[in-house]
Amino acid sequence: MIHRFQMDGRYVVIDTCSGSVHAVDRIAWEMIGAYETAGREELIARMQEQFGEDPAELAECYDQITELKEAGKLFSPDTFENMAGELKRRTSGVVKALCLHVAHTCNLNCAYCFASQGKYHGERALMSFETGKAALDFLVAHSGNRRNLEVDFFGGEPLMNFDVVKRLVAYARSIEKEHGKNFRFTLTTNGLLIDDDVIDFANREMSNVVLSLDGRKEIHDRYRVDYAGNGSWERIVPKFQKLVKARGGKNYYMRGTFTHANPDFLEDIRTMLDLGFTELSMEPVVCAEGDPEALTQEDLPIVMKQYEDLARLMLERKKEGRPFTFYHYMLDLTGGPCIYKRISGCGSGTEYMAVTPWGDLYPCHQFVGEEHFRLGDVWNGVTNEKVQDEFAGCNVYAREECRECWAKLYCSGGCAANAYHATGSVRGVYRYGCELFRKRMECAIMLQVADQMDEGEE
Amino acid sequence: MKHIQTLNTRDLCESAKNGGCGECQTSCQSACKTSCGIANQKCENKEEKDN
Repeated sequence: MIHRFQMDGRYVVIDTCSGSVHAVDRIAWEMIGAYETAGREELIARMQEQFGEDPAELAECYDQITELKEAGKLFSPDTFENMAGELKRRTSGVVKALCLHVAHTCNLNCAYCFASQGKYHGERALMSFETGKAALDFLVAHSGNRRNLEVDFFGGEPLMNFDVVKRLVAYARSIEKEHGKNFRFTLTTNGLLIDDDVIDFANREMSNVVLSLDGRKEIHDRYRVDYAGNGSWERIVPKFQKLVKARGGKNYYMRGTFTHANPDFLEDIRTMLDLGFTELSMEPVVCAEGDPEALTQEDLPIVMKQYEDLARLMLERKKEGRPFTFYHYMLDLTGGPCIYKRISGCGSGTEYMAVTPWGDLYPCHQFVGEEHFRLGDVWNGVTNEKVQDEFAGCNVYAREECRECWAKLYCSGGCAANAYHATGSVRGVYRYGCELFRKRMECAIMLQVADQMDEGEE
Repeated sequence: MKHIQTLNTRDLCESAKNGGCGECQTSCQSACKTSCGIANQKCENKEEKDN
């Protein structure tokens, strides 16, 4: 399977199954598109008639395509289906990442929150140290020979339970060596409670910090308000700036949400850049169809254009020596995931689970509060094997609609929670999200093409 | 004339040989939390990298 696209005068062909990416000229782009419809002579004659090119040049181009096909870099067959599920079988029972919901409460009252203001449609609660400790013990006990274990402090607002976060990190550090493990912690915060103590701690212990900022003040303050209805932008931006400055190059993401109120989210990215942030992520809102925040079909072309313009802005800024990172355009073509990972999906419900303040296990943070998805608890482990099997069976070949998608090995079948909310099944497909994803991948690949080609020219 | 320039990429078919160690980051963890994608994950397979 191949995919062809053009952007800003660049012609790109992706060979889905080998993972090859080709920067081509217009003749090759057209010829690859028609390659499987005719034999050599017929195709050359047809292309000559259509484009008036020199037949010798067309023949040379045809032969280059054939050479790549024979080398397995174009039109490579999909031979991976029998490997689907293999990674999950090999790693069956191994858990390597937990999202700890240390606070089901929040000091902001954002209308678009998928977690219903941190409560996940339940009671407000803070996780006790004992429950968190049991979760870490559960993780270590079920992590098999995995060395790197990921723990995300999440909420609600995790800093509303900062003391427990600190104690849990200290506990994890006290046991990691004896078990041959390396904990990687992440903190996701709205910023209101950041102070010097938080900054010191986060910069010492957190491999990554995810900071929620929607960009422009008026956009951010439209939804990210406190319980008195006051916007939070003015209060958090200086704290984020201080934290990032003190972080000294360690990973962080400035993570925004865009909604129907700001499909033109590139302006929000520009604001983040103006504020001095360079590690950026901007995510489409997750909410029910028909919610006032939900992205509409009318928003789609605007959003698509933002993604393209964002790629152009990244190129421009890179040339000017002021590069920045966009999470979804980070693409490591030479050192990215192996085929097993690419067809396995995200690992929710199997290697990744969310833990509620009460110690209940769910397939991921987005399923918390959906009682029938409860997997078990941190003391007794997974007891609801039926639900776990459903998630273990999720892979790119389990979704009919993914089979013919050129981007399937970049997304691995998409988000089970998005699929469930859009279709009622974790094996469904959230089509709106697919369109955005494919556009992001084209942009990310175009950036790689620009990088490698421009380097070649220099 | 060269009509096609092929970028350096990891050969996915080859990756079937030594892949599948599972050490890489869980996709959604640590940044997006709301939309899946594995393309931006890094391979952490030491054996694979040494090859």
